[in-house]
Amino acid sequence: MFVKDCMTRHPIMVGPETFAAEAQRLMSETHVRHLPVVGNGKKLMGLVSPTSFALKPDLLSSLNVWEISRRLSNLTVGQVMTKREDVQTITADRTAERAALILTEHKIGCLPVVEDGDIVIGILTETDILRALQEMLGLPAGGVRVTMRVPDRAGEVARLLNVIAGYNWSVMGLGTFPTRRMAGFYDVVVKLKDVPLATVRAGLNDVLGQQIVDIRDIV
Amino acid sequence: MTNQVLKIEELAVAYKVRGSEIQAVQNISLSIGRGQSFGLVGESGCGKSTTAWAVLNFLGANGYIKRGHILFQGQDLVGKSNEELRRLRGDQIAMVYQDPMQALNPSLRLGDQLTEVLTVHREMNHAEAYERSVQMLERVHMPDAAEVMRRYPHQISGGQQQRVVIAMALLNNPALLIMDEPTTALDVTVEAAVLDLIQELRHEFDTAILFISHNLGVVARVCDHVGVMYAGEMVERAAVAELFAQPQHPYTQGLMRCVPRLGADKASSQLYPIPGRVPPPHARPSGCMYAPRCDYARQKCHTERPTLRQLPSGTAVRCHFAEEIDPQQWVPTADVQISPRTAPENATAEPILTISNLKKYYKVAGNSIRDVLGMGQTRYVKAVEDASFSVRRGSTLGIVGESGCGKSTLIKTIIGLENSTSGRAEFMGFDITGNLAQRDEHLIRELQMVFQNPDSTMNPAYTVGQQIARPMQRFRTVPAPKIRAEVVKLLEAMRLGEAYYDRLPRQLSGGEKQRVGIARALASHPSLVLCDEPVSALDVSVQAAILNLLLEIQQEYGTTLVFIAHDLSVVRFFSDDVAVMYLGQVMEIGPAEAIYAPPYHPYTEALLSAVPIPDPTIQQKRIRLEGSVPSAINPPSGCRFHTRCPRRHLLADAGKICETETPPLREVGPEHRIFCHIPEADLRSFEAVISK
Repeated sequence: MFVKDCMTRHPIMVGPETFAAEAQRLMSETHVRHLPVVGNGKKLMGLVSPTSFALKPDLLSSLNVWEISRRLSNLTVGQVMTKREDVQTITADRTAERAALILTEHKIGCLPVVEDGDIVIGILTETDILRALQEMLGLPAGGVRVTMRVPDRAGEVARLLNVIAGYNWSVMGLGTFPTRRMAGFYDVVVKLKDVPLATVRAGLNDVLGQQIVDIRDIV
Repeated sequence: MTNQVLKIEELAVAYKVRGSEIQAVQNISLSIGRGQSFGLVGESGCGKSTTAWAVLNFLGANGYIKRGHILFQGQDLVGKSNEELRRLRGDQIAMVYQDPMQALNPSLRLGDQLTEVLTVHREMNHAEAYERSVQMLERVHMPDAAEVMRRYPHQISGGQQQRVVIAMALLNNPALLIMDEPTTALDVTVEAAVLDLIQELRHEFDTAILFISHNLGVVARVCDHVGVMYAGEMVERAAVAELFAQPQHPYTQGLMRCVPRLGADKASSQLYPIPGRVPPPHARPSGCMYAPRCDYARQKCHTERPTLRQLPSGTAVRCHFAEEIDPQQWVPTADVQISPRTAPENATAEPILTISNLKKYYKVAGNSIRDVLGMGQTRYVKAVEDASFSVRRGSTLGIVGESGCGKSTLIKTIIGLENSTSGRAEFMGFDITGNLAQRDEHLIRELQMVFQNPDSTMNPAYTVGQQIARPMQRFRTVPAPKIRAEVVKLLEAMRLGEAYYDRLPRQLSGGEKQRVGIARALASHPSLVLCDEPVSALDVSVQAAILNLLLEIQQEYGTTLVFIAHDLSVVRFFSDDVAVMYLGQVMEIGPAEAIYAPPYHPYTEALLSAVPIPDPTIQQKRIRLEGSVPSAINPPSGCRFHTRCPRRHLLADAGKICETETPPLREVGPEHRIFCHIPEADLRSFEAVISK
């Protein structure tokens, strides 16, 4: 899965001269939390998110109510946005997991996807990553989800998949994670299509050196 | 919903005209999501294009948006400043128009025009922009993209020009693409390829498309949702499958009855034109716009304007009684009822027109110094090559083929507007290949023609009556005092009436003009009428009326017709025999039903697979011809179709024989001949192109 496969193309964007109030209305009406701010030719200039609209408490206390309203009504996106140099971006050909890494490292909620320097072609948000995770593990379709604990060495997953192939089951989702609090093992999550749970349990019970940690029907 | 790229709410557009204003469009609502395509269909003048232009605010100096909102990506475009709109148009909205030649600058190389998009909007450097443009041309399946970059617009074909325009529109990765009749000017085979391309690109770029077309078949092929427009209003909005399976509005139902289904013929089915005509914007009825033409109209329809309301099926329809109307129960009203036709018993009738080995070459004037001095080799455009066929009295021969295949030249040669180069043509036993000036007046009288464009064939200064009377005077078929009565009789046969006698051509609609054109052709009681695309410039409802009229005339007077059209459904419906032409050569000729079923000539097969069918449930085999029609100056040797033939590989040596030898004209059925090297058994083994 690459960024280009999970990003949202043609995101809603605003120009820096847009009033902040207008941008906020746009965000709430369209249920979007991040708006890339672009100039001519969709060139990225910044990003607004709900936090951009928060006013500094010390500024608030120094103004009277009339000054606040005047100040707010003249406020533009260009003044409140996160500036380009502080916005993390990604290109469409990078991997989805790299994008997820950037999101978690910087503790941010979205990455504008750019090409040719700074032209915005899409946006990748946490939601898109979470959707990719669901798809990787076979949601929303139903099936049997089985977690196998396998030793951390070459050929184990292949062996498991060989067994599955032997039964002619089809795999609709697959993921591996290092087992928590147990070094040297991996948990392999496999989701299988159109096969009863009992059959899967019986079929995978005696794979040598591997163990069913969890098995459940996803409907 | 967050994924709506374009949302139009209750839009009304008006034009200011001489102090008053004309409401061109009103109450239009629609929405298009990312990667979706929405089709707007309707007859000419119903406001399709106005709607599209309103999105971009290209309404001209006197047009303005009167009411409503146009939300693009959540932001209202109505009331935005020109500067903001300009930026949106450049960056996020792109448009593709009907005529690609008008969108391209004829004096700039295509490469410069393409790279300009990127260098201006994206401030990209030239080398990079150039490379990107070549890639985009390759994406739209442009053969030899790098070479095309160096050419001028006139150096590539119409289909390729449209590809360049589409590539240009997509270079900047727009969120919304507005396509206004993008394939109307193209041949069916090219159209099919461009439509395939649009489908493919839509999924790849996730672009929302607003697709405007008058052709239901085209819309069925590329759209998810369809809005049907009538007299400036949207009368029905539905998912494409829903619309074609269960049209709810009487107008939509009427439109579907106007179009001949591919495979329908005149003996087994009938077209029902919609009576009346679209009300002009200043004289629209106060009730339902469609009420004056509607078979179901009741009192309420004439007084109260219906709103666009949602039915349980999801279809939105602007009709008071949509639930009560069952199109299955529909019976044509008395004045459109046409007596059931009996199949013409002309299988044994003697041929009225016999053409054998007819050739028409045009000399090409070279412009090199040798040519000017007359020393160069004379070159010819071989417009018609060895045409041989005969037309039986009282039957209809349909001629189909792409533009430039020699259809028109063929009938011009028959009627005498062009002299034939060689070959024989006999009409009622007389040779008609000689000079027209020496042709017997009697023969001229018996051989008349209906032209494609009624506008350019009628004298704007003469009244309708004078124009129809002219042949009668000229040929003295009717004594002078009786001419007026005879003209009125003809006008009535055309369903026009005496009131039209003194009108001038500019006072007539397109359909009415074409009726006058037909009346004039019939004025001398000809035995053979040659029709050059008589319906292709007309709206479908008018087209149905004209076709019915021609059929009636044929029945009443026993007139023989030669009928040219590029629409294969129309030709199938209308003709007894069909000739398929390619590059001046008749590729296949035979009874209509035989042409539309295997065995096919490979070219016929490709044509059939390209016809847009107004029914999304029909399965059509996908055969696309590569490249464009070669030049008729140097037609390919052997079989003229060999450069593009998708079936050539069926022969030994990948069809070497096709390049060297002229194929035989093989008889594969009664009166059915195919001009191809591929053995008959193989041709028979092809699957039918169209299946349910």
